[in-house]
Parts: sequence; C-alpha cells; structure tokens
Amino acid sequence: MRTFPLHALLSLGALLALGVYASRLGFLPGAWVGAGLGLYALLILWGLRFGRHHALLGLGLFAYWFPPLAFLAPLLFALLFGRGLREKEQAALYGWALVWPALALLLVWHVFPTFYAFYLSLFERVNFLRPAAFSGLENYRILLQDPLFWKALGNTFWYVVFTVPVGLLLATGVAILLNTQVAFLGFYRTLYFLPYITALTAAAAVWRWIYHPEFGFLNWLLRTPGLDWLNTPKGVFALLLEPLGVQLQGFWAGPSLAFVAIMVMSVWHFLGYQVVILLAGLQAIPKEYYEAAELDGASFWQKHRLITWPLLSPTTFFLFTLGLIGAFQVFTQVYVLTPTGGVLQDTLTLAFYLYNKGFRDSDFSYASAIAMVTFLLILLLTLIQRRVLERRVNYEI
Amino acid sequence: MRFRPGVLFVHLLLLLGGLVMAFPFYWMLATSLKSPQEALQAKPVWVPERMKPANWLKAARLGDSPLWGGLAPGRSVELVFPGREGHPPRALVPRTPGAFFDPRAEGTRVEVVYRKGAWRVRLTNTTEEAFRFLPLVVLWPKEVPLEAPLPPDAIRSQGEYWRLEWVNAVPGALGYVFHNYLEAWHAAPWGRYFFNSFFTALTQVAVGLFLAALAAFALARIPFPGKEAVFVLILATMMVPGEVLLIPNYVLLARLGWLDTYYALIVPWLASVFGIFLLRQFYLSLPQDLFDAARIDGAGYLTQLFRIALPLSLPGLVSYGIFTFLGAYNALLWPLIVTQSPEMRTVQLGLQAFVSEAGSDYGALMAASTFVILPVILGYFFAQRQFIQGIARSGLK
Repeated sequence: MRTFPLHALLSLGALLALGVYASRLGFLPGAWVGAGLGLYALLILWGLRFGRHHALLGLGLFAYWFPPLAFLAPLLFALLFGRGLREKEQAALYGWALVWPALALLLVWHVFPTFYAFYLSLFERVNFLRPAAFSGLENYRILLQDPLFWKALGNTFWYVVFTVPVGLLLATGVAILLNTQVAFLGFYRTLYFLPYITALTAAAAVWRWIYHPEFGFLNWLLRTPGLDWLNTPKGVFALLLEPLGVQLQGFWAGPSLAFVAIMVMSVWHFLGYQVVILLAGLQAIPKEYYEAAELDGASFWQKHRLITWPLLSPTTFFLFTLGLIGAFQVFTQVYVLTPTGGVLQDTLTLAFYLYNKGFRDSDFSYASAIAMVTFLLILLLTLIQRRVLERRVNYEI
Repeated sequence: MRFRPGVLFVHLLLLLGGLVMAFPFYWMLATSLKSPQEALQAKPVWVPERMKPANWLKAARLGDSPLWGGLAPGRSVELVFPGREGHPPRALVPRTPGAFFDPRAEGTRVEVVYRKGAWRVRLTNTTEEAFRFLPLVVLWPKEVPLEAPLPPDAIRSQGEYWRLEWVNAVPGALGYVFHNYLEAWHAAPWGRYFFNSFFTALTQVAVGLFLAALAAFALARIPFPGKEAVFVLILATMMVPGEVLLIPNYVLLARLGWLDTYYALIVPWLASVFGIFLLRQFYLSLPQDLFDAARIDGAGYLTQLFRIALPLSLPGLVSYGIFTFLGAYNALLWPLIVTQSPEMRTVQLGLQAFVSEAGSDYGALMAASTFVILPVILGYFFAQRQFIQGIARSGLK
C-alpha cells in the first residue's frame, strides 16, 4: 500500500509559508497563495484516506494568518504519530525537516535576491521615491558606455594582475621556508598570520597613517617627503617611465599610485591566509619524494620546480581563483583609504562603484546592473579558468 | 646534528619578512602611545615617552591614585622643577577652546613657589567635583636647563620661554600611558558598538551553527528523496558573489521594515553555504558503523545528530564558528549599508566614522584601531591552533 507523503506536505508547507510572507510584502500575487493553500488542502483531504488523525494537519491551513503553521503542522503531526512511520518515510520526513530551515533562509536571502537583482536592473532608476518605469536592457547599454565602469573594471584587472601573482609568489616562498622544519614555526606563522585576522578597517586606518604625506612612516623610509600616496591619480607606469621621456595615457598609464598603495596594503593583509593554506598543501606532500630526489642529487631549485610546484598546483589554483573573485569585491580598503574613491575616481573598484551608485546616488537599478555584469564576469572567468587550467593542476598524490 | 648555514639564512629571511608584516602593528601601538607632537614628527619617534618605564614611575606620583590619577576636591598635587632661584616659571591651567565656563581652569588654584633648590607648581582643586584630567601649561625660562617632573606632551617656543604643555598633570601611571585610549574611548559610545558587534557576531555563529548542523546532517546521513536537487541548489548559490545580494537584500529589508535593526545585521547571513559544506564533509568522514550501532539501539535521527554527529564534529564546529565570527566582526560594507543610527553601529563602522572625524589626532585614532582589533588578537592567542586549522580547512574542498 502507498503511504501518505508527509514530507511533500512539509515541503509544500515551507514554500507556502514563504509565499504568504512574500505576498504580504507585495512580491507575490495573492492568487499564488490561494492556489498553494488549495493544493495544501487537497493533500490533507487525500491524507484523510489514511486515517482520521490526519485531520490534525488541517491546522496548517491557518498559515494565511500565521505562516509558519504550514510547516509546523506536519512536524507536530510527525511528533505525535511518527512512531508508526516506516524507515523510508522517516528518512524522507527528517531529511526535509532538517534541511528546510537553512534552505528557506538560503532561498529568501540568496536565491531569490539573485533573480530579483536581475529584475531590478531592468528598470529605470529604482528607488523608494516613485514607481519605476520598465526600461529593458537600457541600464546595461548605458553601463557599457560608462567610463567610470571601465575605470573600475580596469582597476579590478590591475588588482588581479598585481596582487595575485605577487601574493602567491611571496606566500609560496614563506610557506616553503616555514616547511623546512624551522624552529619557532609558531612564532613566524603568527607574525605572518596576524594581518589576516585584523579587521580591514583598522588595518586600513593604520596604513593610511603610514602613507601620510607629511608625517607618514613610508615617506621617511623612502626619503620622499610630501609624496601624497593616496591622492596621486597618475598611473605608476607613466610615473616610472616619465624620466625616460615616455608618455603614457589612459589604460596604459597603469593603476594610479593611490591604487598601488591600496594593493600593497591588500597583499600585506591577505598574505597570511595564503601562507596558511599553502603550508597545509606543502605538508600534504609526502617526504619520500624529496628524499628520493635528494638521492638522485637534485638541487634545491630542481626539487621545488619538479616536485613542489606541480604537487602544490591544486592549492595554488584554489588561491588563484579566490584572488580572482576577491578582486571583484574589494571595498573596505578603498573606502577607508580613499573615502571618495580617490582623486578623479582613480581608486574605483567594482564593489565601490556599486556602493556609490546604489547607496550614495540611490540608483538601485543601475547598481543591480553593475552587480549582474560582475556576476557574469566572475562566472565567465571561473569557467575559462576551469577549462584552461584545471586539467593541468590535478595530480594524484 | 651538524650546523647548517642554510638554517641561519632561512631564519634571516623569515625574520626580515616577519618584521615587514609586523611593522604596521608596532607602528599602530607606538603611535597610540604618542602625544600629538610626537606623532606629528617628520622624523619618526621609535619609542614614545609614554612607553618608557621611568616615566611611568614619574606619572604614578602625580594624582590621587597611582594607577588612574585624578584630583579629588580639596586635594592638591605638586610638580617639582629643579632650577635656579630668580628665574620664576609661570604656570596656568589652559581653558578649553570655545568653553564659556571651564571648571578646571577656574576652579584650580595654581601656586608657584621656590623651595629647596626647585620650583614647585602646586595645583589645588577648589571645586566640588573630582577632576580626571587636568591640563597644565608651564612657561619655563629658556636660559635655565629644564628637568621636568614628567615629559611634557608638547614643547613650543614662546618668546623668552619654553611653553610646556601637559594634556593631563594628574594622570597616574595607566592614565599617562593610555591617555589616547581613554580619549578615544570617551569620544564615541564604544561600549555600545562592542555590544552590537559581539551580539551580531555571536548570534550569527550560534544560530548559523545550529541551522548548518541540521542541514549538513540531513545531506550527509539521511537518504531522502530530492536530496541531490537540494545539494545542487546549495552548490549553485555558492557561485553567486556577495555583492549581487547587496541591493536586493537591502530592498527586501526595507520592505520588511528591518533596516537599522539587529535583524538586518544578523538574519541575511544566518544560513551559510560554507558552513553546510564544511560540516557535511565532517559528518561524511565519520564511520557509518557508529550510526548503524545507534540505529540498532533504537536511536532516531535526531538522537544520532545530537548525541553522535555533533560531539564528534567539534573541530568542524569550532572552525566554522571562528570563520563566521571573524567575518561578522570584521565586516564593514553590510553594516554600513543597513544601519544609519549611531546606536546600531558596529565597531568597524564606529572606527570608520572615527577615522573621518578624528582628523589629525593620530594617537587617538591608532588607540581606537588597537582596541577594535584587540578581541580578535586575544582570541587568536588563546586558540591559536583552532584559528590556523579553521582557516586552513576553508581551503580544503
């Protein structure tokens, strides 16, 4: 005999509860809730064929007034009459009951917003002041011609090009040194790791002080009094090549000095994380490989080029992906070091531009368009990366 | 074991790098103990006066309590300046700029007498209230060598005199050393900020852990229909970068009327995909026999979860807890967006506001940065192993 699908009712109840809330907030037409309630009632009617006590489930129909009831009623039913359930039914019921709280939150705060962001981006200047007009892909058209967007994208590009290789190289070096059974490992690891657990806000405040044009430590160290690191919009390539008589303009002038200062701070901040991850990767490489290589007379460089590098590549790949995605989310450092986005918006990043558009200019639709383009770019880059690199980084240990 | 010169080289390299990594921390700490004049020097002051133990002893003698100083009504304090008779110094309690009535400037009796080879500046509190801070200015003739009872916070030239300024003539040892900390602490409602941050972060950890544990257990150990679909959905949410969610979640919170409340800070981040994955990994690594045995003894799924899986996955829970706490405590962007009133500010937001308000008072700014990062740093030193493993685990897929 078939049994009553209690877990289906439970799931329907969870969705129904979310639906009632959504319709209360005006995200969902009331008709949907009506249909949901109808389906719920039909299921309960079917349940009555399996026994009178299924009428208890009718409590869930009060979800219209108190939404969680739709989910709680089947749970209550299971608590009271669950002893009689068979193994398989129990698994189905408990599985869904345990998954739903987290799943519902994910649906509300992660899945739905992703679609809602796209929906918002199709309107003309959504804010709370007036009803918005539908404008199709107009926002995206404007975005593609927006010089500030390209500026932000260019900065993101430089951020990846500068911080990822530099950070990985430094971190690999430190990790290899730490992996030589060096004494005071914990001490050194702490030194390198502390910046990572330090709040970016506080760290950026300290670096702002170090970069201070008059009294900053860096200017004293480099003997460059008065150099205003964070307010110099000129590109570093242009600055470096100027004495040679080469003039560079636009993108080729490179990231501004202010943005380089931000990148240096970022490398400092994230290095500890990379070191810890790489060290864990290094410790997973069997010692025998190195011993065998030593017997064959391999040099330090040979050992690391031919054993460490290939066997560490999955870890490096992971960190590379993380750095790539992280570049699109750089915000705090920029906000604290250059609160206005720098002179001529030269330290603009995608996240910062999104924040400016959405919460300073209250243009939610345009900001959503920026978010969607960022999303697509990250997706595309990750896919390309997987295609191109993943085949080369998987080695069996 | 024979001595290898390579080891020395490794230590040298690590130490060099470590110095660079640790320098901003030292600079933060040193600046937080500097007087404004010391901080604003073109040539950096490596060890500020307030860091020198000899000065602590001097400061302990000034004020009612050796630790926190202060001057109760009717009490007096004597500052001794060894010098020659005939060149009398002048002393005054400066008025706070812009103050119409200043109880400290008007209610303090200042006497300057010469006795036993030294000028004595005697300050008496003639008011009804106790002073915690009592600023003092002494004009000292330039031709007499100066030997101050406590290094002045600022020395300026004023005609024939040196103008010696103290921010607090009755500091006590701790009040002297931590003057900037007290100043920063009293400049903003930091207690409230800390409460907000801790409350937000700890709630996120506790509820997030619970929800993630439930979902992860279901995904790892309960065979229920639709499990693969749920898993794929959760995987897919991982692809969405955080900034896509900013705008739609803000709109959602606005519709719920939750802006500027604790809900806004906590609820959207309760369900964590990372946590679910991490714990699922842990549960999968536990031997199936354990669960079978429990099953035979009549344990239901909930008993299996709370009596077997949860206790055995403690390391995973700790990892996830640390990770979530760090993320919540150090976050700036989200609190910046969803809160407006000063009462709802988290410490990072408070610090950010302080950065833009403090102006050139870098001592107080660095003091604020120090106490903002202090809880995490202390936590790290207490639970170093868990921190490192927690972070390293985030790298394992």
